[in-house]
Amino acid sequence: MNAVLAHLGVSLRLHFRNRMALLYGYLFPLIFLVAFWVLYRHEKIPLLRHMGELLTVAALGGACFGLPTTLVSERERGVWRRYKLSPVPTWAFVASTVVARYLIILTAGLLQLGLALAIGMTFPEHPLSLFVAFTFVAFAFIGLGLVIAALADNVPAVQALGQCIFLPMLIIGGVAVQLAALPAWAQHVSAFFPGRYAVEAIQGAFTGRGLAGARFSLLALALVGFAGCLAGARLFRWDAQQRFANLRGRAWLLVAVAAWVAVGLIAEARGRIAIPVDKEVSPPASQPAPAPAPAPAPTTPLATAPAPVAPAPVAPVATTPATTPAPRPLTPPPPAPPEPAWAKLTRADAEALDYQVPPDNGIVSPFAAPDEEPEDFMKEQVDGVRNKIATWPPGSDGDDLRCIRNLLYIAAVPDAIQMPVERYLPRVVYNHLIDTYPKEKLIKILTYIAQTPEQGMVITDISDLGIEGAAGDPMVVRERAYLYAIKMVARLTGRKQE
Amino acid sequence: MSAHVVVRDLHKAYGGVAAVRGVSFTIQPGEIFGLLGPNGAGKTTTVECLVGLREPDSGEIEVCGLDARRQPRAVKQKIGVALQATSLQDKITPREALRLFGSFYEGRVAATELLERFALAEKADAPVDSLSGGQRQRLALALAFVNRPQLVFLDEPTTGLDPQSRRELHAAIARMKADGHTVLFTTHYLDEAEHLCDRVAIIDRGRIVASGPPQELIAQSSASQAVTLVTSRPVDATKLTALPGVSAVTTDGAEIRFQTSHATATLAALTSLLTAQRAEVVELQVKKASLEDVFLQLTQEAKA
Repeated sequence: MNAVLAHLGVSLRLHFRNRMALLYGYLFPLIFLVAFWVLYRHEKIPLLRHMGELLTVAALGGACFGLPTTLVSERERGVWRRYKLSPVPTWAFVASTVVARYLIILTAGLLQLGLALAIGMTFPEHPLSLFVAFTFVAFAFIGLGLVIAALADNVPAVQALGQCIFLPMLIIGGVAVQLAALPAWAQHVSAFFPGRYAVEAIQGAFTGRGLAGARFSLLALALVGFAGCLAGARLFRWDAQQRFANLRGRAWLLVAVAAWVAVGLIAEARGRIAIPVDKEVSPPASQPAPAPAPAPAPTTPLATAPAPVAPAPVAPVATTPATTPAPRPLTPPPPAPPEPAWAKLTRADAEALDYQVPPDNGIVSPFAAPDEEPEDFMKEQVDGVRNKIATWPPGSDGDDLRCIRNLLYIAAVPDAIQMPVERYLPRVVYNHLIDTYPKEKLIKILTYIAQTPEQGMVITDISDLGIEGAAGDPMVVRERAYLYAIKMVARLTGRKQE
Repeated sequence: MSAHVVVRDLHKAYGGVAAVRGVSFTIQPGEIFGLLGPNGAGKTTTVECLVGLREPDSGEIEVCGLDARRQPRAVKQKIGVALQATSLQDKITPREALRLFGSFYEGRVAATELLERFALAEKADAPVDSLSGGQRQRLALALAFVNRPQLVFLDEPTTGLDPQSRRELHAAIARMKADGHTVLFTTHYLDEAEHLCDRVAIIDRGRIVASGPPQELIAQSSASQAVTLVTSRPVDATKLTALPGVSAVTTDGAEIRFQTSHATATLAALTSLLTAQRAEVVELQVKKASLEDVFLQLTQEAKA
């Protein structure tokens, strides 16, 4: 036990003396965090919906690169050969190495979490679940790191192998790019990568139901981790002269691979390929949200976060156009309905909105000037929307709040997809709104939408208006609709002169 | 007292290529034993089998009275090993390394004591990558002593060191003998083996071709003495080969070199020959054969 503790202590001390290890282990996760913050700076609570991805990247980097780089470079230097000369068994060195790496990854995660909290993220909904989920994630990736260390004959090979696993996991494994934004085939592929389950398990602790909603993910991570540790320990090499190609028992590698395949197949069999409900939805609201008391106005991302949105009362996502609009009430009308919440809003509420929105000529929420004409190849699309918008059912059937919110999605969806036509459609929507609704009513409803961006259904597909392509992440569409609501209020109230 | 190391009929092959073929030797307590051989001869494989880094294919190894193949961990408690390279992380300090490796053993020597003994106290808290070659090698030696070993293995401890560091290390090895330690060491430098070892074994192509005290090996060798002769006028070299005990005659102008196994008889006959050829002796040097000569002779014989 003394040997394990001594080795653990030295491993940690040496880690903190290695500048490159600190760079990869601590600075890179923070750079990722800042990059995500910049990318999603307009979200109501900064980074809250991305901590699963960010903490997974931190764990993946520390385990996929940090652990095998340390192990292989020490093996190349003969350190492990020297360890083998001692009476301490292999498992003790491997155990202390694994524990040291876990502590390193855990501190990197805590640093990331601390910075996220410092820039305005709210405290995780389930902190204990977060700790447990992160531990499972670290365990799974440490197993992977041990396998990489066993496979790689030298440090450059660690980098090559690590990238082969790291990059696909980031891009199509649901780690850096959200699953909702991936095509169907990639979502199937992601089921075979532990990164997906890592993100799900951790994110569940922030915006989901904690461990209760992540049982499968935790099981998958445990299986992948156990198989990786087993294969990594069986394939462990003391001596740099021993090459993997000549190693006895190479078949143990199949154990690690089999775990990934098994997890993917089970996920396929259990129909877990689609994005888990837990990730996007909290209470099963079935209709556009009732009008609650107006929420505090959204603040800038740097300011203190407003009332918790996690788990936000988010309505289900409409991935297809609303083709069955709510029927208009027939005569005789029911007794006078209660006054909607937006009706109580005043100009002061509109003035209180946060108008620090991206510029009209930027990438996020662009807004063409009144005299700006689309280029020829886009004219047909813009004209198509202009002609159909008045009769588009989601924008014309139902109560005014729902219609206006849906009309905003005509601007928000192309923006989320980053289509060339994105800057012209907001103008079409805006013109249609001022032609259809009284100005004061429009200001109130748009102000209300800007105050409650999480309410109502989301439309992510407006192909029936001739705009092909679906926005992957409904939350992005909500966010963009929120920005356009503010931009339109600014125009209606004269804050923005055109 | 029973032998500290007994090796019987050790065999080890890598992928069908035999590296060690029936090696046997013993090392007595308190003895400094040198294992010599050219690169690829099998000495490193033999040592690695002894210290538990490799599993032999067959043969018996007893270390400090224990069966090394069955009780490798118990054996490791009793031995100390200094590897050729420092084999430590760049940023670890000598004090940390000695404490860490000390924690691996039941009985250990305090790090400060070892730092003093191996003249590393001044560099106790400096990272290993800032130490000189000699300091690193002394650290490697100190690490071999963290567990108060009965038997110490030194794998080419002086390779790559400057003359001053080599001399310091020779003194350290001599101290080990004085302290009663049993030492097995491998080296490329035959002069230090001749100077330091009580006994040596010369290993070539996986077999031991000679073993015994260095002086005994030299005395037994046919290449026992080397003669260098410079004469006033050239001498017919072919006539030299006919002299008693002479072999390996080479000439370079007026300088003649040869080996002799009977120096007295050869010199008497040489005097007569030079007189007959009216050649005067300008320079005559007779040097006893070194272990290197023995080594070269034995390993070349094995090749022939």
